Amino acid sequence: MNLRQELTALKEEALEKISQIKDRQTLERIKAEFLGKKGKLKNILKTLGKLEPEERKEIGKIANTIKEFLEEKLKEKESQLKESALQEKLEKEKIDVTLPSSWIDVGASHPVRSVLIEISHIFLSMGFSIEEGPEVEYEEYNFDMLNIPKDHPARDMQDTFFLNNGMLLRTHTSPVQIRTMLKKKPPIAIIAPGRVYRKDADPTHSPMFHQIEGLMVDTDVTFKDLKGILKIFLENIFGKNVPIRFRPSYFPFTEPSAEVDIGCTVCGGKGCRVCKDTGWLEILGCGMVDPNVFKAVNIDPEKYTGFAFGLGIERIAMLKYQINDIRILFENNMKFNSQFKGIR
Amino acid sequence: MKVPYSWIKEFIDIDIPADIVVERLNTSGIEAVNYKFGKYIQGLVTVKVLSVKQHPEKEKLLICKVTDGNKEYQIITADKNVKEGQILILATPGTKLPRLEIKPIKFGSIESEGMFLSLQELGIEESSDGVFILDESTPVGVDAAKLLGLGEDEIIEIEITPNRGDALSIRGLAREIGAIFGIKRKEKFPVVSILQEVIPQIELVTEKTYRYRGIIIKDVKIKESPLDIKLKLIKSGQKPINNIVDITNYILIQEGQPLHAFDLDKIEGKIIVRNAKEGEKIVTLDGEERKLKDTDIVIADDKKPIAIAGIIGGENTKVDENTKNILLEAAVFDNISIRKTAKRLSISTESSYRFERGVDIENLPNAQDKAVELILNTSGGKAVGENDLYPKPYTPKLIKLREKTTLKILGEVVLKEEAKEILERLEIPTEITEDGTVSTIPAFRALDIEREIDLVEEVGRIKGFDNFAPSYPKVSLESFEKSEEFDFEVRTRDFFKANGLTEVVTYTFVGENIYNLLDLKAPEIQIVNYLLKSQSIMRDNLAVSLLQLLQDNIKHQNKDLAVFEISSAFFEEYEEIRAGLLVTGNLIKGYSYTDKNIKFSTGQKWDFLKLKGLVESYIHSIGLFNIEYKKSQKPYLHPFQSADILINNQNIGYIGKIHPEKAQKLEVPEETFICELKLRYVPRSLNEEKLKDGYLYTLYNSKKVLKFNELPKYPSVKRDLAFVIDENLELDKLIKALKESSDLIDKVELFDVYFMGEGKKSTAFSIEFRASDRSLSDEEVNKEVENIVKFLQKRFKELSLRT
Repeated sequence: MNLRQELTALKEEALEKISQIKDRQTLERIKAEFLGKKGKLKNILKTLGKLEPEERKEIGKIANTIKEFLEEKLKEKESQLKESALQEKLEKEKIDVTLPSSWIDVGASHPVRSVLIEISHIFLSMGFSIEEGPEVEYEEYNFDMLNIPKDHPARDMQDTFFLNNGMLLRTHTSPVQIRTMLKKKPPIAIIAPGRVYRKDADPTHSPMFHQIEGLMVDTDVTFKDLKGILKIFLENIFGKNVPIRFRPSYFPFTEPSAEVDIGCTVCGGKGCRVCKDTGWLEILGCGMVDPNVFKAVNIDPEKYTGFAFGLGIERIAMLKYQINDIRILFENNMKFNSQFKGIR
Repeated sequence: MKVPYSWIKEFIDIDIPADIVVERLNTSGIEAVNYKFGKYIQGLVTVKVLSVKQHPEKEKLLICKVTDGNKEYQIITADKNVKEGQILILATPGTKLPRLEIKPIKFGSIESEGMFLSLQELGIEESSDGVFILDESTPVGVDAAKLLGLGEDEIIEIEITPNRGDALSIRGLAREIGAIFGIKRKEKFPVVSILQEVIPQIELVTEKTYRYRGIIIKDVKIKESPLDIKLKLIKSGQKPINNIVDITNYILIQEGQPLHAFDLDKIEGKIIVRNAKEGEKIVTLDGEERKLKDTDIVIADDKKPIAIAGIIGGENTKVDENTKNILLEAAVFDNISIRKTAKRLSISTESSYRFERGVDIENLPNAQDKAVELILNTSGGKAVGENDLYPKPYTPKLIKLREKTTLKILGEVVLKEEAKEILERLEIPTEITEDGTVSTIPAFRALDIEREIDLVEEVGRIKGFDNFAPSYPKVSLESFEKSEEFDFEVRTRDFFKANGLTEVVTYTFVGENIYNLLDLKAPEIQIVNYLLKSQSIMRDNLAVSLLQLLQDNIKHQNKDLAVFEISSAFFEEYEEIRAGLLVTGNLIKGYSYTDKNIKFSTGQKWDFLKLKGLVESYIHSIGLFNIEYKKSQKPYLHPFQSADILINNQNIGYIGKIHPEKAQKLEVPEETFICELKLRYVPRSLNEEKLKDGYLYTLYNSKKVLKFNELPKYPSVKRDLAFVIDENLELDKLIKALKESSDLIDKVELFDVYFMGEGKKSTAFSIEFRASDRSLSDEEVNKEVENIVKFLQKRFKELSLRT
């Protein structure tokens, strides 16, 4: 076998071995075996001195080509190995991404609190501030100073829980009007969200429920302004162009007084069970602050006017989520509560 | 109140459909609905009873022969009131009633060719005492459904606000509808002659009776009322009784004036209108014995009370089938007095309902005379004497309405001419003045219209609130205040929700039972007139409600619970807004990969430290740190897995596991953890400060503004140190001591606790040392460690450094 043939055989052998390489160590070993200082190529080239200069030159060239060729192949193999090692690592780390996650899920909101906060935010962004008062309230603030004297039939409108300490559970958030006006002088623009109580329990009445009271007092506040504010509010809750109707009504602490209806959100005004076939839903009560209330808190009714409104939160939450029995709101069965994830 | 529209039409010429009338009543202040009176039923005929005899086989049945003028029928009935000569409604075979189809049917061996009907079977009364008896003048053989107006007449049902007693009658409704549509009401004045032969002797000895007029009518005949009266009463939801009683009810509805008829022959001596004697008793028309107080008004004779004034008559002077002579009373009593008495005795009658809301004192004679006229025309007899006691005749108030006031309140210009026109439509006489109008308030609005503002309302509501375009207030922003407390609460709520807790709302009142179960003393504030005993105590903590919530959910098989509530707790002088947290069962139900082999495990359960972590995280989220724990004394918590939470030495709540014994009693899982945080103080007194020590909001509100710290310029040196300490030493104390022990300590991190037995534990810390002005050398740090160990050993005798 001449040198040429030897070189070719070496190349063939090396190629064969390279193709068999499975790991890095083998690669290094093969590299040394053929291309190392004591490698096979070097061994062959050692015999080069015996050749004629011209042939030496030619064989040297061939040997170099083979060396470069094999180096290239080894590099290729090396990167292949890297690639497959990475692939293997990745595959080893494979998980089922559809498995249930291992983190806490967000808690659900209570629909009543959610609506209460949503409404509060609407008024806050219009520049109202929030006031509050206690739930155990003086009869004077809950009734007398709101122009509801003892033995007035209006007290029948609100069945009251009386307490053993001579006070009562407030029947509405209106006493916060009194508390606010006793502390502050106009201009006043407040809302008072909170719990209230009436002695009443059936599918549409709960002995404990929530209200938001609104009060605005200044030198130049009119009934038409009240309509404006309520229009903004109702459109923000029930959508633009919701039909709104003002019906004259009676509350001892406002004069004139009105009840506000919106077009039934369930049937769109055609008449259904929810609106009792009237096409309208009663949403809130409102009116211009009665001069007697101003007198009770030492605000001059000749100088100032004001409006007040109050609405039940449960009613709105029930309409919004089409809940037909108020009692379920306070049963706190998690099968109910957990439905309200992702609402405000 | 419900009345047929046809009756209203007798007092006003109107042909506007009921739907529209009702719509306009609603938008001008009287809640109203309308519906048809019953449903038309085919096959009903009026028949006259020819004979009545006992069924030969069935003891309880009668066999009647009746005629419709052409044909005779044999009808079997169980109603013992059926008598010969009566006119009844017969449902002939084939008639389909709301709940029944009539077919010929045999009772024993005898066939019945139809059925006499009661109002109940006609579907217009909830329950009837017997078949419906028509008066003798009713034609026989006519379509009874048509005669009754079934499915034809419109019923208008109204609900008034307490100030609108004036609308509680046909008269008042006609006036209101007239005002709305601009149609003048009609009045038919009664034509009666009242002799002055026997003047009723009446004494008025109470100031709470404003007018009392008695009329004696002799020789009346008690019988069924004429069909027209009966039908109007039925359509107005009243039960016909007899002609005299029916007429008093009829006039009450038509005129709004309650009347009462006494059997004159049962009255002993004169009529005295007086305050009741304390403890005086009377059996009223409903058969109940009533005990009276001296604040009640009674109508009495010389010997006994014969009626509770304005509310209900007495059994002892009742008009019955044998009555011949009557005293017809029309009166006006003090509305507050009537209301108090009616409320105390829990009686609400058509009469008391109207007196409480005000009765037109000036219309009294007119209304009463109409009753007399009807009685004389339908029952015979003659009016022989009248006595009208009216000590202080009504003097109308004059009330001004200035154009500028209307503008100021409504925001709308209403010219005085228009105001006058509107008010006069409401039958309020009004004159024009320089700056507006002046009205003479008639008696029927005396309780309601007392001030200028009340006239503004009248003008506004008749014009229609819906006709005012909305405007937008221009209120000075001067009043604006940032609503910090609300913000704080929303922030708190959002934190707990984002951390997996579900918001709940529980009743703030509970029963005594839960307090007993938890070995807690029931709080002081309780509801006197509670609906349920289990909802009668105002809670002084949220745990009682949350534990009940847990009980309920366990019953519903909801075993994993993580809930919170922000709500009130009640104390003698104040209230607190608290956040209550309750967790049990799984915290996380999902899967975790645990090692290289890609296995996974399920779930993580709630425990004390997890809830503690959540709570601390919340407190940090509102910018408060330095939380400390102190042994808690709550009887419902595990004594060794509970703690009070302190910040700046203020107790702001507690956290703990439920006491296993209580868990057992409540039948809830032992692994239940509760936390309550006192968020805010809510005073009842107006003058008391809201920011009070011991509440998170107060701490939050007064915390120092966060200030940025320069980043370290020199590297830190780390040392791991392990201390052997007494097993019972709370680690919090050791960590605190460590931090105090050297100025060079930048960070302390616990990384291992190992219980060694013999009352010892080993605790390993990774400690970072850093100086702000230089790099620390190893020697310096070694020296410092020695000092630290000495420092610690001074404080904790048994501490040793583990090497």
